[in-house]
Amino acid sequence: MPSPQPDAELRRFLRRLPLALVAAAAMWLAIRPLYDPFLCRSGEIAARMVEFPKVAKIHLAEGSALVGRTDLRADSAWLKLPLTQIHFNAVPFLALVLALPGALARRYRWRVLAAFGILVLSHILALVANVKVFYAAGLGEWSRANYGDAARAFYGALRYFFDIPLTFTLPLILWAAALWERVAALVGMAPEAVRTAPRRRG
Amino acid sequence: MPRWHPLTVTTGGADNRPVERWKALVATPAGRFVVRYAAALAVGFVLIALKPVNDHVVNPYTTFVAHQARVALNLLGEGASVHGQVLSSPRFSVTIFNGCNGLEAILIFVCGVLAFPATWRSRLLGAAVGFLAIQLINTVRVVSLFYVGVFKPEWFSTSHVFVWQSIIVVFAVILWLLWARRHAVAAARR
Repeated sequence: MPSPQPDAELRRFLRRLPLALVAAAAMWLAIRPLYDPFLCRSGEIAARMVEFPKVAKIHLAEGSALVGRTDLRADSAWLKLPLTQIHFNAVPFLALVLALPGALARRYRWRVLAAFGILVLSHILALVANVKVFYAAGLGEWSRANYGDAARAFYGALRYFFDIPLTFTLPLILWAAALWERVAALVGMAPEAVRTAPRRRG
Repeated sequence: MPRWHPLTVTTGGADNRPVERWKALVATPAGRFVVRYAAALAVGFVLIALKPVNDHVVNPYTTFVAHQARVALNLLGEGASVHGQVLSSPRFSVTIFNGCNGLEAILIFVCGVLAFPATWRSRLLGAAVGFLAIQLINTVRVVSLFYVGVFKPEWFSTSHVFVWQSIIVVFAVILWLLWARRHAVAAARR
């Protein structure tokens, strides 16, 4: 039975959360100098996989992705896209994982890693979605000549999906999916075995 | 045999085939919650993306958020004003966009509350209290970002995206956990 007393597990989680949030933000700020170039390069490769001719170009400039096409004149428009808006959701994901007692135990380690992999994949796909929106709507006459209204509406919807719903909900969904026994235990919906498991320090 | 509580999640037992495990999960209250929550989020995010909803609900709501922040800033003697979704004072201006109005955190919380097995009275009360709490913290966010813009404009982007968006998402999770814990225990007693 769930305890009718305020749950110790939940209290521990809430106590750890502020520090976990600070640690996650610090970790992510430290990783960014490596992650931003990785994201730009991966985004460029992924964008080129879904286009012909393969002309997508993504540069990194001061924390933003500069998106363009190599087959257009050098003075054509380039899209400047702040990468933080794409990958900030790694911070709440890491914070929620770090705050949950036992989340990095051997049993959950691979699941957490897989969840993080899905988050990274979503960042790459979000960048590709922004590239496609830029092609469809950001290159003036060239966009109007090469994309119809339906395509523009489709890519607009795709960008909305990646910019708002997925960015905000994916960290929670992945956290809950990777650690669902422990998350369920926090609200009293977990098997006895999980709720009464001996606790480790830390 | 272990004793399972009505709100217990089963872990599949001997049958580990993914379809069977999925069916077993969906047959539990926790599984049904996950499916309902995903459906509620999908409906909620599609709804706020529709142009009529955006024009008649989301934009006025965002303007309302800007006015709340204006009131808070004027209490601090800023002499701020709002034009559309732009909050400005002689010292700094911010535009409140979709994604900065707290609506996403409200959806995350409210959908979680509506999908959770609880009485409708608890759900409506939880949704109303959570809505107000997220409104309050979002006003603190806008005001604090305004002052970051005034005193440390070079920190604005980091504070806006990394710090505050993360805090708002995590805050919605905390609220939901507290509410759900309270009502999971209440459901267990019944």
